[in-house]
Amino acid sequence: MTPDSTVSSGTNGGRLLFTTITILSLIIMYAPALYLLLASLSPDEWLRLVAPIRFSLTSYVALIDDRRLASALDESVLVGLATAVLATPIGLSAALAYRAMTRMRSIFLLIILSATFVPGAIEGLGLSVILRLGRIHPSWVTVTIGHLLWTLPFAVTVSLIGLSAVKESAFEAARDLGAGPVRAFVDVTLPLMRGSLISSFVFSFLLSLNEHARAYYLIGRQNTLPLYMFGAMNSGASPTIYAFAGAIIVVSFAAVALIFFEATRRQKRSGDGQDKR
Amino acid sequence: MRLDEVARRRQRTAFLLALPSLVVFVGIGFIPLVLMATWSLWTFDADTYWVKPIWSLASYAALLEGGRATVFLRTAGLAAATATISTLLAAPAATVVGLLSGPRRATLLVALFTIPFFTSGLVRAFAWRLVLGREGIINGALTGLGLVRTPVEWLLFSDFAVVLGMVAADIPFAIVPIVLAFARIEPSVIRASQDLGAGFWMTFSSIVLPLITPGIVAGFLFVFVVAVGTSMEIQLLGGAGASSISVMINDVMRVVNFPLAFAIATVVVVFLIALVIVADRTLKLSRLFEHLGT
Repeated sequence: MTPDSTVSSGTNGGRLLFTTITILSLIIMYAPALYLLLASLSPDEWLRLVAPIRFSLTSYVALIDDRRLASALDESVLVGLATAVLATPIGLSAALAYRAMTRMRSIFLLIILSATFVPGAIEGLGLSVILRLGRIHPSWVTVTIGHLLWTLPFAVTVSLIGLSAVKESAFEAARDLGAGPVRAFVDVTLPLMRGSLISSFVFSFLLSLNEHARAYYLIGRQNTLPLYMFGAMNSGASPTIYAFAGAIIVVSFAAVALIFFEATRRQKRSGDGQDKR
Repeated sequence: MRLDEVARRRQRTAFLLALPSLVVFVGIGFIPLVLMATWSLWTFDADTYWVKPIWSLASYAALLEGGRATVFLRTAGLAAATATISTLLAAPAATVVGLLSGPRRATLLVALFTIPFFTSGLVRAFAWRLVLGREGIINGALTGLGLVRTPVEWLLFSDFAVVLGMVAADIPFAIVPIVLAFARIEPSVIRASQDLGAGFWMTFSSIVLPLITPGIVAGFLFVFVVAVGTSMEIQLLGGAGASSISVMINDVMRVVNFPLAFAIATVVVVFLIALVIVADRTLKLSRLFEHLGT
């Protein structure tokens, strides 16, 4: 590994400017959520920053008694798990298909990625109409169907990235040693992809957990979490909702950060010394 | 002969593996869009609150009424502003990742730029209210420093807030394609440029910029397309009566005017698909993703 192998000399003005813009971008992305988190620790009814010594979990304690919040959370977790259980294997299968394809590869990829770009409200509306015509009553199942469409492109991408780290020669070697294609896949490819499959599952779960536009059209009687929160946010936000927003932020950031650093660690272990670019 | 057989079996395996995802994308993604496009040309039936198969362009004519055309243009305008600002931030940031960082810092930065995407967009949009509001941190600082006498009102519930919220949410879509474009640059090209004595700006403008341009265009396009579809920032941060295409669809559906909602959806989807296809044809954007999984 050559640290800072690329541009190192020359004018510092450009580097400084670019680094400043990078930091500015990160501030825009992180500062508001961080501020909300700190403000949610205020003991007062009115949300604002307080000295760390006065930090309190009062509004977080109130969360425990919020029944409607609890049932929205239950619904979202159910939908998220169901979505992830479906998206992970289907995504893996699509990634394997992409690798095996000799023709129509770019079209296949375009189909997969294009699903990301249809506005959520339009996807949700179309799906809700079709499901209603099919006499399928809106429930957590219909939300899951919508969320499968939303998360699958990401599950495919994560599996593709994971698959690119598995050399085809490893699979071929197992085949040469007499393993059937299924056996070689289960014994060689699958263990090497464990990390990406976990990432795929967690990302699908989180994307589903936070999805709002499609769920708006697909829910039954029970709200999902983002829909409940959206309602609460627009009707005079209470400290509880800030606390809950804070909790969501902490949990989802922690989950994704963990996945990323786990992946990096694994990558370093498997590809020590070689720059994979 | 034998080679032929192997190739055919490989194709069949590939097809079988692709099948589940195709069922999802075509069955629950594509078919509803096609049906909506068809039904948008039917007539609203007030008895059943559904459409009846009498062909009509009435819904498309209604697109131009009641200020709906303005909503289309405003949505496109806000999305274009968001895409422009996001790209202006993302190109330098991706350069820091792809050119100015060692592998460790590059990985860390990519992680930092992508992590928020997987967290609650709703909460992140909502958080801007605390920052930009009358009692928010920015107004607090401005009045505290004596720069303004009364809180600045246009920070929140304005187009400014909407674009800021969307930029913060959509930067990952701009950065990822540019980082992918960097991954395709041969390091020797940059080293050669330096060996010949080119400084940072010279290397950036004459070597790097032309090579990452497809990534920059793809990034702009991704953000634009995503921003056209969002409603969250408009609803949480926009001013009174602020609308967007998605909000308009929700409103139209509140009075269950199916054909009109379908017409809006169709126009938007056709526009977005055309945009992506044209850009892909002219710039070969799908090449950016080609090395994935191989």
